Amino acid sequence: MRLAVVEDNPELAQLLTQGLKREGYDSDLMTTAAEARAALASTRYALLILDLGLPDADGLSILREIRERKDPLPVLVLTARGGLHDRVSGLRSGADDYLVKPFALEELAARLEALLRRPGQLLGRALQVANLVFDTESRQAFIDDRPQTLSAREVAVLELLMRRKDRVVSKKLVEDQIFGVSGEIASNAVEVYVHRLRKQLSENGAKVQIHTIRGVGYLISEEKAA
Amino acid sequence: MISFKSIFSRIIFLHVIAVVITAIFMPLVLYWFVKSAADDLLRQAMRDQADLVAHYLAMQGNGEWTLELPPGLADMYSQAYGRYLYAVLDSGGRVLFSSLKDRAPIFTGDMRPGNFALLETRRGNAAISGVSIAKKIGDQTVWIQVGEDLTHRDVIIDDIVADFFKRVGWITLPILLFLLAIDIVIFRRALRPLLKASQSAKEITPQRADIRLSTESIPGEILPLVEAVNQALDRLEKGFRVQREFTADAAHELRTPLTILRSRLDTLVDRNAAKALHKDIDGMARILTQLLDIAELETFSLDPSEEADLHAICAEIAEFTAPLALGQGKSIALSGTDKPVWVRGNSEMLSRAVRNLVENAINYSGAGSTVEIAVSEEGVIQVFDEGPGIAPDDRELIFRRFWRRDRRRKGGAGLGLSIVQRIAEAHAASIKVENRPTGGANFALSFAEAR
Repeated sequence: MRLAVVEDNPELAQLLTQGLKREGYDSDLMTTAAEARAALASTRYALLILDLGLPDADGLSILREIRERKDPLPVLVLTARGGLHDRVSGLRSGADDYLVKPFALEELAARLEALLRRPGQLLGRALQVANLVFDTESRQAFIDDRPQTLSAREVAVLELLMRRKDRVVSKKLVEDQIFGVSGEIASNAVEVYVHRLRKQLSENGAKVQIHTIRGVGYLISEEKAA
Repeated sequence: MISFKSIFSRIIFLHVIAVVITAIFMPLVLYWFVKSAADDLLRQAMRDQADLVAHYLAMQGNGEWTLELPPGLADMYSQAYGRYLYAVLDSGGRVLFSSLKDRAPIFTGDMRPGNFALLETRRGNAAISGVSIAKKIGDQTVWIQVGEDLTHRDVIIDDIVADFFKRVGWITLPILLFLLAIDIVIFRRALRPLLKASQSAKEITPQRADIRLSTESIPGEILPLVEAVNQALDRLEKGFRVQREFTADAAHELRTPLTILRSRLDTLVDRNAAKALHKDIDGMARILTQLLDIAELETFSLDPSEEADLHAICAEIAEFTAPLALGQGKSIALSGTDKPVWVRGNSEMLSRAVRNLVENAINYSGAGSTVEIAVSEEGVIQVFDEGPGIAPDDRELIFRRFWRRDRRRKGGAGLGLSIVQRIAEAHAASIKVENRPTGGANFALSFAEAR
């Protein structure tokens, strides 16, 4: 899996490629917009990491060019401009996601994973939180490699949570995804499934926690060492 | 001199004075002209009569004077008619002839200085006006006096003079008042562009320094002032911009090195040291973000057509801040209505305000506590925490930039609440802080226009 990295600061560029290497990605580095255009024209990359502040052009212009030729290449924008207008124009120009500097490599890795796991992408069939693993293909959950018996709806809820590890999944999203728009559901249906999931996971030694954010939704994370 | 604040009242005041003076003097001057014209006519008529009388005056060989008036003329001077009078005096002042019974002169006194004078006198009830002219007949000089009793005048020219004030004088005043009214309208119209210019001047703030006074239809006399003000505004705006851009640029430029620093930490072997340093970088990054927020807020003004859903904003911030709270062993909760609450506002800015309130609440409460965000249908967002609360004396101070109760405390520069307050101001919302009866603080952001 080869990524394209466009970043003009040599130090940060080097650290980025090293960090990506540790995460298991090979990457090609370009430091100017001209280099980036040339490389993108000749090579097919799995993803583009694009810094907006380039010496010879605005990174957004590269992004627009990519989208104008209907290239579905996933683009993650790095920006030092956290301003409202910059972010809005970045997403409007066709960025799939953006990170505002300073970001943690961990965060970058998580975003890459999410972008590359999108439909049509091959990477990441397994989701993992601590010793809990979920295979998205067979739709089977494992705790320390022991397969777990869960109902179809419990599996669906668990998959939603694990896809957004350490991020909140709103209750509304769970309801819409599991029950669809037309389904009549009891107001506490999601709570019931989450409750059952929690019980099952803790009884089988999973080192994860499903937090309830009252009024908002749920979040799965690694269990904190007490 | 009375001093007027308003140029308009000054103009009107001077104008009224001018109108009053004109209203008094113009009729007087006109009256004087008309009267002197009438007098000239009278004098000419009298002189003609005196010449006529002189025509019939003759000196006999014995040195006796004779005056043989034809009957028509004699009738005119008769006592019965009583309107015209004549008298002839010799150079010694002795009366030679007179139409009066008592052979008296019409005008007494010395009239020798000139050979002609217009004179006036009174006889009983009669007001006599006439002339005295010197005539040389043979080698003798005589004075011929002719007078007319003006009490019974029916000459048209005299009526005009007598009625002048009644007929003409009173027309002047309405005309002048009408002129005054027209002038008031003209002045008002001339000053209107100035009022418009001052309206736009009222809207100029550091956030809206791009406004300039319109020079359109400004009177030429005031145009230099308006243009000078606009040029001064240009210089001020430039100053503001330079300062803002500096803040924004400085914050941007610091972000890349901070990212490098953070990435380097990931290569450290000592994970505990790395963790502590990560926390420091997060704190610095937060201050940078806040500085950028402030720089952006300096130029922010609300688009009146924008609407924001307070419920959606709070839900989004609860989701966004939950991992941070959970990471510190704290929790977030959202309560209140679960329906959209629309207010006039900018979602991004309002999100920042709520985010700052929630992050503050998380930072100031202990492990195991919950920060609660509540949205009401009336357009109020409340953020409750279980921290130490805010001392009554500090309730104003906390909104000042860079103010902190405890400067030794880590993790903040004291910018968050000043950002919240500025955003609230831009939305005409009020921000209040109270302590909860159960302990902890309650920040309430109230919007006037929930719909």
